[in-house]
Amino acid sequence: MEIFWLLTFAVLLAGYFALEGFDIGLGVLLPVLGRSPAARDRLVGAMAPFVLANEVWLVALAGVLFGAFPVLEGRALSRLYPLVVALLLAWIVRDAGLWFRRRAGASWRPVWEGALTVGSAGLALAWGAILMAVVRGLPASPFDLPGLAAGAALLALLAWHGRTFAAWRLQDGPRRGGRALLLSACAAAVPAAVVMVIVAGHMLANAAPDQTLTVLSVMVVPVAPILVGAQVWVWRTFSKGALPTFF
Amino acid sequence: MDVAGLARLQFAVTGSLHFLFVVLTLGLAPLVAIMHTRYAITGNPLLERMTRFWGQIYVINYALGILTGLVMEFQFGLSWSGLSHYAGDVFGAPLALETLLAFFLESTFLGLWIFGWHRLPRRLHVACIWLVTLTAYTSALFIMVANSFLQHPVGAAEEGGRLVLRDFGALFTNPTLVFALPHVLGAGLLAGGFVVMGASAYHLFRRTQEREFFTRSLRIGVLTALAGSLITVAFGYAQFGPVGDVQPGKFEGLIPGVSLGLMILIGELIQFTVMLVLAPLLIRDLLARWHWLHPFLMAMTPLPFAAAIFGWLVREVGRQPWLVYGKLSVADALTPGLTRADVIASFAGFAGVLGLLAVVDYALIARAVRRGPGQVALGGADLPLAAEPVPAHSL
Repeated sequence: MEIFWLLTFAVLLAGYFALEGFDIGLGVLLPVLGRSPAARDRLVGAMAPFVLANEVWLVALAGVLFGAFPVLEGRALSRLYPLVVALLLAWIVRDAGLWFRRRAGASWRPVWEGALTVGSAGLALAWGAILMAVVRGLPASPFDLPGLAAGAALLALLAWHGRTFAAWRLQDGPRRGGRALLLSACAAAVPAAVVMVIVAGHMLANAAPDQTLTVLSVMVVPVAPILVGAQVWVWRTFSKGALPTFF
Repeated sequence: MDVAGLARLQFAVTGSLHFLFVVLTLGLAPLVAIMHTRYAITGNPLLERMTRFWGQIYVINYALGILTGLVMEFQFGLSWSGLSHYAGDVFGAPLALETLLAFFLESTFLGLWIFGWHRLPRRLHVACIWLVTLTAYTSALFIMVANSFLQHPVGAAEEGGRLVLRDFGALFTNPTLVFALPHVLGAGLLAGGFVVMGASAYHLFRRTQEREFFTRSLRIGVLTALAGSLITVAFGYAQFGPVGDVQPGKFEGLIPGVSLGLMILIGELIQFTVMLVLAPLLIRDLLARWHWLHPFLMAMTPLPFAAAIFGWLVREVGRQPWLVYGKLSVADALTPGLTRADVIASFAGFAGVLGLLAVVDYALIARAVRRGPGQVALGGADLPLAAEPVPAHSL
């Protein structure tokens, strides 16, 4: 039972980076790849229908952490306090940029596009530092050189992933680049997978008791096909054709 | 103020902000779903415009619901690790189920609904908004299950200084849940009804072109508010019994007592106004035609939101000093080693950023209302994939 929930946690974490990774990367690259307002509209339109379905992987991850590994949840989040706060603020700023970019008047658009880019960069940097801190056994002050270096490395990795996604989604004519996107998605998930291998033993030893895990399994497993189906539906609906304009 | 006080204040401020947006989400989701269904069945263009206009208000509001919700979810681990240590094996389960069974699906289906115009078959598109509504209500259920456990920790036993789960079903029959959940859902309908009423009154008062649109909307708003007020008030009073049994003295403090009084005052005022004045004036559309009444309708829009915040103050402050009632105090649940500087910095960050974005969000809702159904972006034209410069569609 512990192994099942550990695997669920690992899949959610790796999946988050493989999926949300390209949104973050594209957000970072927005001013570089989108030199004109029309070009930025196209880039945001490419990722917009995926963002809601991608970012919930992290919400679900936090839920599984709390439900199946509650002791670790309290310990890890409180030890990583400043980094988690930074991650949340970056996430909020990025999402606000997306949601409000087209809602306010045209003169505000650069402000929200700036929020989108700054928030995306903050997300990548905070995640890099968090993964590094977890690998190093939650040091007391996680804001240091190795943390920053990991953040910068993750930023570069996700930016590449975002670029691969944009090239795949925005091509007109015969479809190419699917394999490159798969490759960059796997690469984006590698840091998370490495961290999971390192912490797996520790997590197994700190899982919730069987009664709790049984309840979670009984409730979640029957619905799992719907979760997967909804994600597949998003990809089938939005991976080609014209670009929606709401964000 | 000490560290525990600051952490409490942070939770109260972010939680209140969160609920201001959640309560409207809960109220508008079924209304938009019904409008969309009626449009899908009849093909009436007016119903399509109503679905898109009110749907856009719903979606703009939803944005802040997500952003504030993220902070809520992580705050337990950040500030209250004593809670996850002591009660996480029980309390964590409904929260985990909320993320997996409710929010994950709600967000995925909402994305399909927002961006699915012009590409999903009509029936499946309508199914998306119903699934969004269903999962939003499921989410409310699990969150209220978790909160009710803190009010009255049933289904668990203490073993070795920690709570373990004994009876998961008992969490769903918790006496502090069964009347509180419909109370909250009724408050959602009330808030949704009042926003629809207030926005419709604005257009009718300004005598804009959209007379038919907002006359019908006003009717929907009043009827929704009527249903919401009946449910909210009935299940509000119904809670006095069980609360008196499990949390005697809940309303004795200054804040719970005053908040309770104000909530009841607003609730009664709303109920009598809607039931005895507004609903009867729907006959022959008198309410839509009597323009002198419209400023009052606009001014009343914030009332259900104020009542909702007072309601949470009663429920949460009335539980003090306990985090898990009778078992774990708030002070004992605080993350060990948390410093004032930590909490002040994160509080300033969250309250500052979320407070600012909440103001922006309300301004954007007001803007969308003011611009009216003629300028709705939701369901607007797509961008062609080819990169030729296209004339910008002004929104």
